[in-house]
Amino acid sequence: MIFLFNKLCLVNFILNQTIYHMRKVLLLVFVFVGMLLHHEAWSQQRQISGKVISGEDNDPLPGVNVVIKGTTRGAITDLDGNYTIQADQNETIVFSFVGFTTQEVVVGNRGTIDITLSPDSKTLGEVVVVGYGSTTKGDLTGNIASVKGEALSTVPVPNFQEALQGRMAGVFVESSSGKLGEGVKIRVRGTTSISGGNDPLYVIDGIPMTTSGGIGYYNPLADINFNDVESFEVLKDASAAAIYGARAANGVVLITTKSGAKGKTKFNVGIQRGVSSPTRLREFLNTSEYVELMREAGYNYDRLNFGTDPINNPSDYPGSELEFVDSRLDRYSGWADWRTGEVDTDWQREAFNPGAGTLNVNFSASGGDDKTRFFFSGAYDKQDGILIRNDFERISGRLNLDHTVSSKFLIGANFGLSRTQNNRLADDNQFNNPIQLVALAPITPIRDLNGQLYDRPTTTYYNNLIDSENAQWLNTSFRNITNIFGEYKLLEDLKFRSEFGVDIMNQNEEQFFGSRTNLGLSTNGYARSRWTRIFNYNTNNYFSYNKVFNSVHNFEAIAGMSFQKSDRYFTFVEGQEFPLDELRTLQSAAEITGGASNITNFSFLSYFSRVNYKYAEKYLATLSARVDGSSRFGENNKYGFFPAASVGWIVSEESFLKGNDQLSLLKFRASYGLTGNAEIGDFDHLGLYGSASYALIPGLRPTQIPNPNLTWERTAQLNFGLEFALFRDRITGEFDFYDKNTTDLLLNVPIPATSGFNIQRQNIGRMQNYGFEIVLNSVNVAKQNFTWNTSVNFARNINRVRELAPGQTSIPPSSSRFLNGVFIDQSIGVFYGPAYAGVDPANGDALYYANAERTETTNDYNEAERMFVGDPNPKFFGGITNNFTFKNFDLSVMFQGVYGNDIFDGGGGFFAANGDWFDNSTRDQMRRWQNPGDITDIPQARLGECNGCNASSRYISDGSYLRLRTLTFGYTLTSSQLEKLKLTSVRIFFTGQNLLTFTNYRGWDPEVNADYLADNIFQGNDFYSAPQARIFSLGLNVGF
Amino acid sequence: MKKFIKIGILGILLVGSSCHEQLFISPQQSIDQELALNSDANVKSVLIGAYAEIRSAALYGGRIQLFSEMLGANSEVRWEGTFNQPREMYNKQIFVNNSYVEATWAAAYRGINVANNVLSALDVVNEADRGRVEGEALFIRGSMLFELVKLYAQPYVAGNTSTNLGVPIILTPTREINDDSYVSRNTIQEVYQQILNDLNRAESLLPAVNSFLARNYVVAAQLSRVYLQMERFADARDAANRAIIEATANGKSLVPVYMNAFNNEVDSQEDLFTIQVNPQDPANDMFTFYSLPQFGARGGDVSIQAPHLALYESGDQRLNQFFFDAGEQRTAKWRDQFRNVKVFRLAEMYLTRAEANFREGTSVGATPLEDVNRIRLRVSLPALTSVNIAQILQERKLELAHEGHAIHDVKRIRGTVTEGNNSFTFNDPRMVFPIPQREIDANSNLEQNEGYGG
Repeated sequence: MIFLFNKLCLVNFILNQTIYHMRKVLLLVFVFVGMLLHHEAWSQQRQISGKVISGEDNDPLPGVNVVIKGTTRGAITDLDGNYTIQADQNETIVFSFVGFTTQEVVVGNRGTIDITLSPDSKTLGEVVVVGYGSTTKGDLTGNIASVKGEALSTVPVPNFQEALQGRMAGVFVESSSGKLGEGVKIRVRGTTSISGGNDPLYVIDGIPMTTSGGIGYYNPLADINFNDVESFEVLKDASAAAIYGARAANGVVLITTKSGAKGKTKFNVGIQRGVSSPTRLREFLNTSEYVELMREAGYNYDRLNFGTDPINNPSDYPGSELEFVDSRLDRYSGWADWRTGEVDTDWQREAFNPGAGTLNVNFSASGGDDKTRFFFSGAYDKQDGILIRNDFERISGRLNLDHTVSSKFLIGANFGLSRTQNNRLADDNQFNNPIQLVALAPITPIRDLNGQLYDRPTTTYYNNLIDSENAQWLNTSFRNITNIFGEYKLLEDLKFRSEFGVDIMNQNEEQFFGSRTNLGLSTNGYARSRWTRIFNYNTNNYFSYNKVFNSVHNFEAIAGMSFQKSDRYFTFVEGQEFPLDELRTLQSAAEITGGASNITNFSFLSYFSRVNYKYAEKYLATLSARVDGSSRFGENNKYGFFPAASVGWIVSEESFLKGNDQLSLLKFRASYGLTGNAEIGDFDHLGLYGSASYALIPGLRPTQIPNPNLTWERTAQLNFGLEFALFRDRITGEFDFYDKNTTDLLLNVPIPATSGFNIQRQNIGRMQNYGFEIVLNSVNVAKQNFTWNTSVNFARNINRVRELAPGQTSIPPSSSRFLNGVFIDQSIGVFYGPAYAGVDPANGDALYYANAERTETTNDYNEAERMFVGDPNPKFFGGITNNFTFKNFDLSVMFQGVYGNDIFDGGGGFFAANGDWFDNSTRDQMRRWQNPGDITDIPQARLGECNGCNASSRYISDGSYLRLRTLTFGYTLTSSQLEKLKLTSVRIFFTGQNLLTFTNYRGWDPEVNADYLADNIFQGNDFYSAPQARIFSLGLNVGF
Repeated sequence: MKKFIKIGILGILLVGSSCHEQLFISPQQSIDQELALNSDANVKSVLIGAYAEIRSAALYGGRIQLFSEMLGANSEVRWEGTFNQPREMYNKQIFVNNSYVEATWAAAYRGINVANNVLSALDVVNEADRGRVEGEALFIRGSMLFELVKLYAQPYVAGNTSTNLGVPIILTPTREINDDSYVSRNTIQEVYQQILNDLNRAESLLPAVNSFLARNYVVAAQLSRVYLQMERFADARDAANRAIIEATANGKSLVPVYMNAFNNEVDSQEDLFTIQVNPQDPANDMFTFYSLPQFGARGGDVSIQAPHLALYESGDQRLNQFFFDAGEQRTAKWRDQFRNVKVFRLAEMYLTRAEANFREGTSVGATPLEDVNRIRLRVSLPALTSVNIAQILQERKLELAHEGHAIHDVKRIRGTVTEGNNSFTFNDPRMVFPIPQREIDANSNLEQNEGYGG
């Protein structure tokens, strides 16, 4: 309680400080403005008037902001679009209106200035960040998806990955569950690797980020405050990505943080508060249903195995299975009587936190002068998870500076610091995962008559509510991502830039499980402390050259090198035997039971170059190449070469189309190139012996078979793109087709275990990803008081495993409980196993298909034909955003969805197994077969006989969903209101996350990937995984 | 200005070439395989690595014993846990993808591979220790083959030993994966012959004193089990007798109070061979599944049933092991956490010698009656005046109950296991593990056992 109170105090303190500073700043602003006005009274001002019309329909535009740049002097157009304003001839008038492109006009000696504002849409001039530089959308010949940080700023999620969900074509985002602080899966144009990494490379301000090596399932990207981000660019095709060579096969995410601009210092303060709840709950049996099902299961066992009838023949009762069930029900009832239904506990509800919510407070200032520009920010984020014992808190600060030393020399630094604290939970497969409470019986009271939480033997399994009282698990991460750069203009057209950056991640995890928890019960408590520090440094040094010859040949080139090294240090200690539960650090452990330290490193040395050529603004070509060397590669393949080429043709610049209003843009582009995947583990090429002790005597054992030829995976990607704009840019769109072929797959080839090894990592096999992406943006309405824009992205990716090791046709499911396998000409991770054929109406046996044609059935699981029974990879995914503005109101509605994937509910074997054991069941199990002739899909209840409980298609269901991912409704104060408040902007908004979900999935939430299983092959599994959070939040943003 | 450009380019190349060295990084937690077998000390470390393998929970760390008790449950014990893998064994309805079946297979062959690595590098071992090192490696390899063939193949006494399939015999270390890695199953006869070769040579090489690691009497004890499976009673008798003579000459004897022979942190005087357990290396799956939460275990997954309790005579001190908790009778043999896992106790050797002497009509070392009474007197039971085979087997069953002997004794005496209305004879295919589906998938040369589809 005190802990919570302190947290609140901190928030209050921050708020108070913010408001206090705001007041001071406001005062300064007033004084400053007053001086300015006073000064202006002496300058040569004239009256300027004019009319503003819409370029769309040539109607007058009322309500347009007309402001003299750099001052607070302004006017608003009247109903006929007319305005008048006082201005000096050297001043610039800025015309701005929501939904239209802002225009600036220098007054000069004109007295009347009429303006036509054109509707805002994606324009060719939009700046896009690329590897080691930037370009404009119009000049791009590769495929890059871009999202401005602004679009995500109010999405109440802890990491930017979730905020990007549904916003970029071909970028698939999936958060593993509703647990806070865990990893998020991102796949750019599919899965390229079976055994290597499939996550994109993340580069923040030029530094390849540390994205793995943290403790547990910690997500190192959650350390980034995405309010500081100017833009996210995802490099998707080879032309865009090959400049990142051996690590670009899964795409590259470029993160550019905000920088200041010359001008008045702008302050922004925001606060947002939300409440969260699970998207969906499941239905479990109540006491009377549970008792009925369990007793029936025991009785059926007696009938079938002993031929006895303990209900109708009381003499059969002693020693019967029914008696055993009754004794178990007695045991699980504690002080209550199950016969009278005295207690009916909803254990599922206990797993969730009724006080879940979110809080964000942020502050930023930016500005600068001719010499120096800055961006400064601070933010506090807090999420109280929907699950008990789970929260996430981030405090972050940033200072980005750049300074013009001389007309030739620019220096700068980006400095980011954050502290993340996360009260973590056990993985989905642990008894102390809160969701596993659903296994407990409804007949069991939560507490005994003394108010103590019940544990086994009264509870069926460990009652992990005890963890809430008697355990803690706190993960703290300090993150510093900093880089400095200098840029020197050697010649008019030639610059040299040098960057040095560090990404330091310092993380520790303190776990304590007291003497009442399942982990500390017999040892008077158990504690573990783990520390890791990853020091990752990187330098980029490159020339860039830019020259136009004969005013039609436009050349841009870069060439340079980079070097990166990462050192990871890890230490842990664990101990037990604590004198009392209040002493929770290992200082108090009487017995230290374990400890270790280890060090791992990797390095990359790279040379890269890119040449862009543009002829007459019509014909575009790009060549790029990178040479990458890495410590991860075997002796025989230290360096790799990754070239790419692309061309573009802007047809609409040709004379026959130029000026055509109906088809305002038509551009074709094509690219082909080679990228690599080096996410293969640091020492996979060596033949290794690792330590193995026995009875505290040190020993060695073979751990890895050598492969000196081991190298990166190669992905060759072909991309065809078409961009268009119709009706004076009212509708813009992009259509891309791609074909990615990955060869030399880094494959953990299963080998006979009789060799002493289970796998060997080889460069073998081939995988293909092909598909298309569609992006459409339209301005549906652009009226004076009402605008409506729509943007749609949609992607189809087809993943196919094409080759494995010679003679190998599959990597069959490696788990008895889950079905994911790898098969040639199928998608990776396809579900393979027995197909459930329902229930034999004659006897209630679970049936499986015995042949591939599904014409014969068997009740013997071992005799069932194994076949493809589902695919966890979605066929389509995408998002659709509608933005509306009405007067000063704005509304943004973003739907996101995936279609065509299946989910395997791995917990079904326990809670949807027709009363196979004493775990509580989902309510649908009451449909079980009971009498000959019953037609149902739930087999007869038979205690401990596993009648249909094995992994099969019985537990697969359609995972498609459509979700109202983000809805934002806001109100921005009008200029006149702002004038009174002396503020530049005020916006009040509501943001809802995951408000609606449409799905046929039978489990908690269709966006799921059980954390302890999740890898390249194991996907689409649910195992007591928490649903996602639904969040309602209110926020306020003030700028001044 | 050209000068600057040249300097810049030169600088880049210089930095690059100096960074090249940084591309050669060695791991700090592992060593290259060339180093691991190049010295006396390193080969001995690898030998400890072999013990670390057979010590795992999947092998002598508890599951080998658990599997035997579940297959041989015989309505005397009952699997009540939530885990399907032991329950399938208890039900005699094992699925080909049972992950325990798969893990034990893989772990046993890892142990064999480590042992083969040691055996391949004996020439760098100091001459004084070479025999011991070889003997320990052979004990490990022979023992693993024996455990595999008992679980994954028909019992020896099912006959047709030259055609019934055993398990693959692997005698060389794996340095690369090639065609030879795709092995086939050897016959039962071949496997047993290899076990005898390994263990006989190991016994001849090993000393009687070698801390808690393999010693000559441990190997003799293992040999006595092998011969019992083969019904070579004279050899079993002699092996048990050698084990008794060597062990007692080196300080081993029965613990006076029966229950003091269990839950030991260090080997008791009765222990011939155990798996060493400590808080740093805690795995003991018999504890995990037999004990209770308050002792740090799971929920008491195995309970003792009335028919078992009825087998004991009144006053038998072995009844002291049973206690009522969590609604069921439990055995305290595996009650405490961080206690060694029993593999061979001296008491077993007396009972083996008694049985084999009786069957052979001999009195090597002692008469059957003397050996049986030695066991009975310790648990406060009256001495018998004469014994028959049924009494010897009954005494063996009760003395060694819940210690991993159940199914293997049933099979060798051609007994049956009865669960509810179902009876399984000793050679019932449902009491033989499947070859793991993963292995069949990875190696098409392996033939599946009867009753497991494919």
